[in-house]
Amino acid sequence: MTGGTSSAGTQSASTGSASTGQVAAALQSALAAENAAVYGYGVAGGQLGATARKLALQDWTAHEMARDRLQAMLTSLGVKPVAAQAAYQMPFPVHGTRAAISLAGYLENQVAAAYLGVVALDDPRLRAWGAGQAQACALRATTWLGRTAAFPGLTSGSATAARPTASP
Amino acid sequence: MRADLTRRSVLAATAMTVPLVAAGCKGVGGLGTLPKAAPDVAVLHHAIATEQALITRYHAALAGSPGLAGTLGPLLAQHREHLARLTSMLIVPATPRPTPRPSPTATAGAARPRAATLAALEAAETDAASSLVRRLALAPPALAQLLASIAASEASHALLLRRDGAAG
Repeated sequence: MTGGTSSAGTQSASTGSASTGQVAAALQSALAAENAAVYGYGVAGGQLGATARKLALQDWTAHEMARDRLQAMLTSLGVKPVAAQAAYQMPFPVHGTRAAISLAGYLENQVAAAYLGVVALDDPRLRAWGAGQAQACALRATTWLGRTAAFPGLTSGSATAARPTASP
Repeated sequence: MRADLTRRSVLAATAMTVPLVAAGCKGVGGLGTLPKAAPDVAVLHHAIATEQALITRYHAALAGSPGLAGTLGPLLAQHREHLARLTSMLIVPATPRPTPRPSPTATAGAARPRAATLAALEAAETDAASSLVRRLALAPPALAQLLASIAASEASHALLLRRDGAAG
């Protein structure tokens, strides 16, 4: 999934200009959220039984693919993609199935919030792509939680993703 | 309802345009911060009409299949939240509208099988989500984010309706 420079990424790279900074900032935020989600799904997976763990693995892979794509988009803009932290502090203790499922729902909302930052950009292709990614997050959250949210990515009080436990 | 909406669109657009024209005549530089109007007003009205139509559909479905209240109630409540948030963004607020009631024909054709009701709502949710995403490019950034979030919510509604249809 690397090297797959998206059409959206190529498009924004060609626009150059002052907006490149905004594009890069929004993509970096999305990448940071994806990095936290990849880590978080690893934590959640360790607490789940076989069936749910299979679903977690599937979602973990989806976030890894999105991460790779964001890295490629940033690279095509001439920007160094933000690196993942060695570890992230979870928003609450993750012991047992229920907490693991709550964590998955939390992570999806955080990532959706970051993609709404991409939706705020001027480039219509990036907007549409960001909206599609936010939608994918909402679907995964609903699969985990069995319920829907009125405003995925907008409701969370804390806009930041899971924090790193320590600076590397 | 459509004629009414159009009239309010015109009202909102007029409210925005007149001061700009006046400012042009007097050359008042301080009014340069006035928000730009026009296409986004139409996008907002489209989104409001979409939510109103969905709410009407849910009322009709509930009238025909009261047993579905457990599934449909929370989704209907979220559509009301969507409508309230969208309406609050209007420059000229929509006049409070009485809760839409199912039309007599909708109630008369009530004895729809559960699966057909859920499938029809699922299709309506999917259509609504894609019609919002199609108009993202016309919206200013904050409205685009709201529309993308609502579209994600509606896509997840469709997911739940599909599951309940399969389970029933």
